[in-house]
Amino acid sequence: MSPNTVGNGALIPFSGDTTDSLAVYPLHHDLARPISRLAISWSRGNSLRVSLFAEPSVNPNTGDGAKVVEVKLGGGDPEITDADWRRIAYGSVAPFALLQSRRSSLSELSKSPSPYHLDWWEHVLQYSKDITSLLGGPKLSPSLIIEDPNEIVQKNEEPTCLKAAWELMEIFYVDKQSQAWLPERLVDWLADYDSLFTSTQETIHGKLVDFQNDLVNIQVIEDDPRYWEVMSSALSVGWLDIVVKMLRLHGSYQLDQLSNRELENGLVEAVAVLISKMPRLRPESVVGNLGECFKSKPDFIKAWEKWRSQITKLDCSPFWIQCDNQQTREGLRDLLQVMLGNTESLCTASCYWIELYVSHFLYIRPFTIGIESMYNLAQKCIQLKPPTGTHRLTELMIGILEENTEVVLAEISREFGPWMIAHAVELLTAGSEQAEILLHDERDNLGGISIVELHRLAYAQILSSHTLTWQIAPIYLTSCMKQGMGLLENLLYRQSVQHKNTLLKNIEICRLYELDHISSNIMKVAGVYHWKHGRKGAGVYWLQQSQDTSCLDRIAQQLFDSVGKSISDESFKQWEGIIELLGSESKPAGGLEFLHKYRDFKKSLQMVYSGKSTDAARQAVGSLIMLMKNPSTPQRFWLPLLYDSLKLLNWKDSPLLSVSETNLLLNKLQELSLARQRPHFTEPSLPPQAPSSIRLALATNLGRAILDE
Amino acid sequence: MAKELLSLENGTTCSSWNYSSTRLAAGSVDGTFSIFDFHDPPSSSSLTSTFKSKVHEGNIVKIVWVPPEYGDAVACISADGIVSLLEEIVEDSQPLQWKICKTFRSNASKVLDVQFGISSTRLKMVAAYSDGHVRIFELLDPLELRSWQLQAEFQNVIESVSSFGKAVCLSASISLNPQKGQESSFIVGFNSNTPELNSSKVWEFDQAHQRWLPVAELALPEDKGDQVYAVAWAPNIGRPYEIIAVATHKGLSIWHLGLNPDHNGRLPVERVALLSGHQGMVWQMEWDMSGMTLATTGNDGMVRLWQSNLNGVWHQQAAFEPTS
Repeated sequence: MSPNTVGNGALIPFSGDTTDSLAVYPLHHDLARPISRLAISWSRGNSLRVSLFAEPSVNPNTGDGAKVVEVKLGGGDPEITDADWRRIAYGSVAPFALLQSRRSSLSELSKSPSPYHLDWWEHVLQYSKDITSLLGGPKLSPSLIIEDPNEIVQKNEEPTCLKAAWELMEIFYVDKQSQAWLPERLVDWLADYDSLFTSTQETIHGKLVDFQNDLVNIQVIEDDPRYWEVMSSALSVGWLDIVVKMLRLHGSYQLDQLSNRELENGLVEAVAVLISKMPRLRPESVVGNLGECFKSKPDFIKAWEKWRSQITKLDCSPFWIQCDNQQTREGLRDLLQVMLGNTESLCTASCYWIELYVSHFLYIRPFTIGIESMYNLAQKCIQLKPPTGTHRLTELMIGILEENTEVVLAEISREFGPWMIAHAVELLTAGSEQAEILLHDERDNLGGISIVELHRLAYAQILSSHTLTWQIAPIYLTSCMKQGMGLLENLLYRQSVQHKNTLLKNIEICRLYELDHISSNIMKVAGVYHWKHGRKGAGVYWLQQSQDTSCLDRIAQQLFDSVGKSISDESFKQWEGIIELLGSESKPAGGLEFLHKYRDFKKSLQMVYSGKSTDAARQAVGSLIMLMKNPSTPQRFWLPLLYDSLKLLNWKDSPLLSVSETNLLLNKLQELSLARQRPHFTEPSLPPQAPSSIRLALATNLGRAILDE
Repeated sequence: MAKELLSLENGTTCSSWNYSSTRLAAGSVDGTFSIFDFHDPPSSSSLTSTFKSKVHEGNIVKIVWVPPEYGDAVACISADGIVSLLEEIVEDSQPLQWKICKTFRSNASKVLDVQFGISSTRLKMVAAYSDGHVRIFELLDPLELRSWQLQAEFQNVIESVSSFGKAVCLSASISLNPQKGQESSFIVGFNSNTPELNSSKVWEFDQAHQRWLPVAELALPEDKGDQVYAVAWAPNIGRPYEIIAVATHKGLSIWHLGLNPDHNGRLPVERVALLSGHQGMVWQMEWDMSGMTLATTGNDGMVRLWQSNLNGVWHQQAAFEPTS
C-alpha cells in the first residue's frame, strides 16, 4: 500500500482537509498581551487542554493573564449535531456487540479463524439494517392527507451523506441476495440521495425542485420547455412515478380541452403507459412504484424486448405527424429516445456522471449483472460528464467501483470520521476475503495490531473524551484483542473518584471485564482521597475494599499512636468507629485485637464514670486485667491504662481486684520502671506523679484484698 | 472546535491538570498557588477557584501532580530551584486546605524538574538538579507526604566512573515509564554545558544489586552531546516495544525501545523518525492516553500534533496557532 493511495493514512482523522498540506487551526483567545508560553495536557480520549499564558505585566489592569481552552480532535461530521451523534453512538452499541458475539461463537463452532464462508453476510446484513435505521435524518412533516396534484418531489426524511455512504457500502459489500439486481439498487440509492449532490453541482433533483417551485406561475405547462426537459431527466434516472405524474399535468387532460386535443392526449397517455410498464430486473418494487418487476433474467429479457418493440412502434407511428402541438410532439419523442437508450439523449438529460451512470444501466445496459466492468463504465461516464467539484460520496463510490479497499477506507475515514470507519469495516470485510486479510492482518508498523483494531481504538478515544459517552467505550475496547484492554485500563484510571456514581460505575466496569488490579487501584485512590479529606470512615472502607494492607497497617499504627497519646473521650470517640471498621482484617502484630479490647475497656470505664454501678466497675476491671495480661498490648499503653483505672483501684465500696490481679499489675509497673532505663523508651504524656499514685492505689487495694480474702 | 474553560490572573506562569483532568493547579510569578475545580464534573463545564494562597517567595515555574494513590498533592518548582510539596488535607480538626508538607532544597544546586512514579507500591520522586545530578527519593509512609528518604543519587552519564563537577544545566526533562505495576524506569535528558550529561538516557532499577543502571541512550553517536529540551515516554497499551519522544535543537526524534535486554543489559533502541516543526526550543511534549498521538509546544508558539500513519511513518498531523 503506497501512501498515495490511502490519502495521508491518518490514524485519527481530524476534521478538515489534511490531505496535502499541513492543517493549521486557529486557537482563539482574547488575551490582550502577546503569548509568552503554552502548556498542554491531554484529557481523556482525544481532548487536549491548552493553557495560553500572556507576558506578565506590571500594570494589573491589563486583562487576564492566561486562558485555558479545550480542543476536541477528530470531531466527526459537521452535517450531524452532537446530540444526534450521541444517539447514533448509543444506538450502534447493541448491533455492534451482537455482531461481535456472533462472530466469536461462529469461529468457535467452525474452529476456523475466518467465519466468512458461511452465511456470515446475513448476520452482517442484519447489522447493517440496524445501523441504517439509526442513521435516518430528522423526519419531515408527513405529506398532506389530500395529495397535492402539483407536488412532484416527495420527501419523508432529510437525507444525510452518512446514511447514503452506509447504504452504498451495504449494496456493494453485504447484500449478496441483491447482487443480481445491483444496478437497480443503485437506481433506488440515487433516487434517495440525489439531492445530496446539489451542494456541489446541478442535479436532476435540484431541477425538479426548482420546477416545482415555479409550477404555480406556469400557465400552459406543455409550452414550457423546462417541463419536457425535467421529465426527460427524471425518466433517465428511472423516476417513473414522477414522470407519469408530470405527464398527467399535461394540458390535454383538462376536461374542457379533451375533445379538441384527443390525438395529442392519446399520445401523451400512450407514453405514460409505456413508462409505467417499463420492465425492471428486480424482485419487487417499492409499494406503489411503477414499472413491472421480473425476478428472473430470461423473463426480464423477453419483457424488455417486447417493451422496446412497443416503443419503437410508437416512435414510428404516423400519429406524430397528425399531432399539431410541436412542444408535445418533440417532448414526447425525447422521452421515447431516453427509453430507447439514445446515448446523446441520456447525456443531455443527466446532470452529472452518477446520474448518467445510472441511466446507462437502465436503458443501455439493462442486462448487466454484478460489479464486473462497472468501473470502466463509471470512468466512461466521468469522461462524458467531468465533475465540476468533488463530493465525498462520489469519491467513495469511485473507490468502491474500482474495488480498492484502501481507497474506500481512506475516504470514509477522512470524510465520515471514526464512528463510520469503526462500524463500516464490518461491511468491507463481509464481502471479500482480500479485504478481510487486509483489515485483520496484524501489522508491525502499527505496533502489532490490525487496521480494524486501530480504528476501533480511535473511535473509543472519541467516545472516551465525552462524559456522556465514555461508558460505551469499553464495549469497543474489549473487542480489540491486542491493545483494547490496555487503553481501557488507562481510561478507567483517569476517571475521577470524587463522585460516588462515577466511582461505582468504574468499579462495575472493572468487575465486568475482570480488571481486578484496576478496581483495586481505583478503590485505593478513593480511600486515600477520603482519608486525607477527613472522611476517615469512607477512607478506611475503600482501602479495605482495595485490600491495601500497607495503608491499613499505617492507619492501625496511627490509631495506636493516637490512642496511646491521649485518652480524652473526645478523640476516642473519633477513633472508635474506625476501629470498628478496620475489623480484624489488618493485623499489625495483633494490634487490632488490642484496640478492640481497649475499646471494650474504655466503654465500661465510661459507664463507671457516668453511674456508680459496682457491676460496671467489675466489668471494667475484667477488661483491664485482660488487656494487661495480653502480650499484644504495647508496653507504652500500660501506664495510661493504669492511670485511667485509678478510680477502679481506689473503689470505695470494696476492693475490685484480687490479690493475684493486684500483684500482676504491680509486676507490670515494676517492669515499666526497668524499661524506663533503656534507650528509646517513650515517656507517655501523663502527670509526673502518675506512677506513684498508681503504685499507692495498688498497694492500698492489695491491703484491702488481703483482708477480704 | 476550541472551547474556553477558564481565565487566569495576570502573572500566571504555569498550570497543570490532575490525573482525571478535573482539577487545575496554577502557579504565578509572585509565588501564588491556585486550584480550580469543575463544579460537578459529570455535567458541568465551568471551573471555579477553590484555593489560592502565596506559597513561595519566588516565581513558580512548574507544577507536577503526585499520583492520586497518594492523595491530592502537587510539587511546585520555583525559579530558584526549590521544590515544595503541597497537599490538600484535613488536619487536627481544621478545615480542608492545601498545606506545604515538605520542601526539597539543595544549597549547591537548583532543582530543574521532578516527576513521580510508583514502583513496588512505593512512591518515588525523581529530581534533576542544575549540577547534572539525579536524585531519587522514596516515600516512607504511604499516608504521609512528609517523610522521604534519598534512595539514590547519580549523574546522567553512562560511564559512572567519570564525574562532572562543574556542570551547569539550564533545564532538564524527566519522563517516567507510565506503565503501572512494574519496577520503575525513567528517561532523563539535560540542557547543559557538559556534553556527556545531555543525551537522554533510560535508567532502570536493578533489584538484584539495588541500584539504578543506564540501560539505553537515545541519541545517535554524532548527536550525543546535543542539548535535550524535552523527553516524553509514551503510554504502552500493548505494543511489543516502548515509544519515547526526545526533542533537541535538531528536531523531534521518535525512538523505539526494545523490551528485551542484550547480554550487557542494554535495551535495543531505534530512531524511527526525526521530525522538524518548532524551529527552536521545545517546551513540552505530551502523549495522549493511547500513546498514539504526541502533542508538543515550543518557541514558535504553536501546538503541534504528531502521529504515525498506517505505514508506520511519523508525520505532523495538525497544528494550532493561537490567535486573538
